[in-house]
Amino acid sequence: MKVRLVLEALSLAGALLVAPAFAQVAIVLNSGDGTVSIIDKAEKKEVKRIPVGKEPHHLMATPDDQFLIVANAVSNDLVLLDPKTGEIRRRIDKISDPYQIGFSPDKKWFVSVSLRLNRTDVYDGDFKLVKRIATPKAPSHVAFTSDSKLAFITLQDSNELAAIDLATQVVKWTMPVGTMPAGVWVTPDDKYVLVGMTGADYVEVVDWRTQKTVKKIKTGKGAHNFIAMGDGRRILVSNRVANTVNIIDQQTLEVVDTIRVPGGPDCMELTADGKELWVTSRWAKKVTIVDMASKQIAKQIPVGNSPHGIYFMGHAARK
Amino acid sequence: MFNWIQELFAELHQHVFESGVLPVLYALELGGEAERAFNATELFLIGAIEITFLAIVLGTLEKWRPVEVQSHSGWKKTDALYTMLHRLGFVPLLLFFMLMPLVDTLDGALRMHDIIPPNLEDWVPWLAGAPLVSFLVYLLVLDFVAYWLHRWQHRFNWWWSLHALHHSQREMSFWSDDRNHLLDDLLIDSAHVMVALLIGVPPGQFIALVVASRMIESLSHANLRLHFGRVGERLLVSPRFHRVHHGVGVGHEGRTQGCNFAVLFPIWDVMFGTANFEPTFPATGIRDQADGREYGDTFWRQQWLGLQRLLVRQ
Repeated sequence: MKVRLVLEALSLAGALLVAPAFAQVAIVLNSGDGTVSIIDKAEKKEVKRIPVGKEPHHLMATPDDQFLIVANAVSNDLVLLDPKTGEIRRRIDKISDPYQIGFSPDKKWFVSVSLRLNRTDVYDGDFKLVKRIATPKAPSHVAFTSDSKLAFITLQDSNELAAIDLATQVVKWTMPVGTMPAGVWVTPDDKYVLVGMTGADYVEVVDWRTQKTVKKIKTGKGAHNFIAMGDGRRILVSNRVANTVNIIDQQTLEVVDTIRVPGGPDCMELTADGKELWVTSRWAKKVTIVDMASKQIAKQIPVGNSPHGIYFMGHAARK
Repeated sequence: MFNWIQELFAELHQHVFESGVLPVLYALELGGEAERAFNATELFLIGAIEITFLAIVLGTLEKWRPVEVQSHSGWKKTDALYTMLHRLGFVPLLLFFMLMPLVDTLDGALRMHDIIPPNLEDWVPWLAGAPLVSFLVYLLVLDFVAYWLHRWQHRFNWWWSLHALHHSQREMSFWSDDRNHLLDDLLIDSAHVMVALLIGVPPGQFIALVVASRMIESLSHANLRLHFGRVGERLLVSPRFHRVHHGVGVGHEGRTQGCNFAVLFPIWDVMFGTANFEPTFPATGIRDQADGREYGDTFWRQQWLGLQRLLVRQ
């Protein structure tokens, strides 16, 4: 009995020793350098920088969470990383100018937005091209309805929001929104689409069924990208010019808090326990970590040039 | 030491961008250009540091071992203006905004027909994991392209009518590298953009190497009695090698309309029979200047006369 207890204790200790090595890596895309910074999450220190391709901007996990997809806009490819270590596992070529990417919730469609070339490309779940769709001007970000029927695309230079019917791969409608729409977010109840106005200081709330703007939520200047806080109610929006992050309540559609994050805050990742917010500070070439209890900066980690996408396992739920 | 410099530069870059450039962009409703402006700010700052470095180091070297005593400070000032316009990014930015809409339209149309312009890394996949090697391969290929473009600048009379501006400096110095007609710049950049559509663009993280290659081009124009030795002369373009290219008569006449066309690596001149390793430091300029032909002393005069030569073709 004693021997068994000792063995169990040893195995538990072993598991604890091994597990953190897999769980504590943050991955940051240095879009200006073509590299990925691998950060030890516990030590809050960059441990490695791996060349990944030309202009990696955005990244996301595959639907099965087995890989992390890095979109290299200028290399015209996707690179699949091991999300536990950041090491390169596979390269998928002939993906035209992938800037922002997204999988529909039913995992049937992979959508790649080409900011430079005014295209939205729809692929199937195995990255086979289904259709290229002209979406001028400067398609920037993508979000989906929960039934996977529509993909919403922000058109940064024509100040519009477009809806693509995924089954037929045609632009179903476009509607005018504010200046320089970038980040786009669908509320969990599917009622509204929120659009970050990077050229202004608000988030536009769109009733997509009627294609009407129902509200403008005042934020800091340069409202850019969204991420969920994991409680199904609150989301974060980064304000690239004001150097702040706002917390928005999706039920009241109001800003409930403001956090100061210097250096052009862009993409974000929140720990599952909600204690730490990691933000890429684009202009500062750093990742800024915010202690969410005090809303103060806990640390800034120097990374590569123009850090953009960020990911780690153990993040808050995406809704 | 190196990290400390990098972090200091990063802070300067951020400060200048956020306090100087970004507010102007937003006032002009050009917030969508923020990322490009951020990169342009970096190039501007690096250019400013580079010019300061050139002025101190190459300026000192030119005083130490000059090829000739130079007396026309106005000529040098005009060349310095070209250097500022190029190395601080104004001319590259202007050309970028002229060419990119055309290139993006062409590139976008190709992709609608499922033609994705390749990168060198598509042909040699391991280069994707070795960006420094990839950069050096691109540098070599682009230098090869630059050699042939330079041959054609001398070969075709209409193109020479523009390129002659570059050769018309009779008191050549390290400031003379960027002394070009703007149409000549446009042609060269257009050609490079087409090459980029064929082979892609080099990895972007080696700015220090880009600056180093620009400095070699400045050094090659310096009023400096310097060569790199028997082997070195064949590896990298030296002030002596390039001065022969600018030599009156030698550099722009004869069967190949000149010699020593290489920009960085003389290997191309050796391969294509245009190398001239004579150990001389000839007087620079164009032969017809001795007959009184004017190429202009100021920026606008030089641009205007270049245009006239192109259109009137004397």
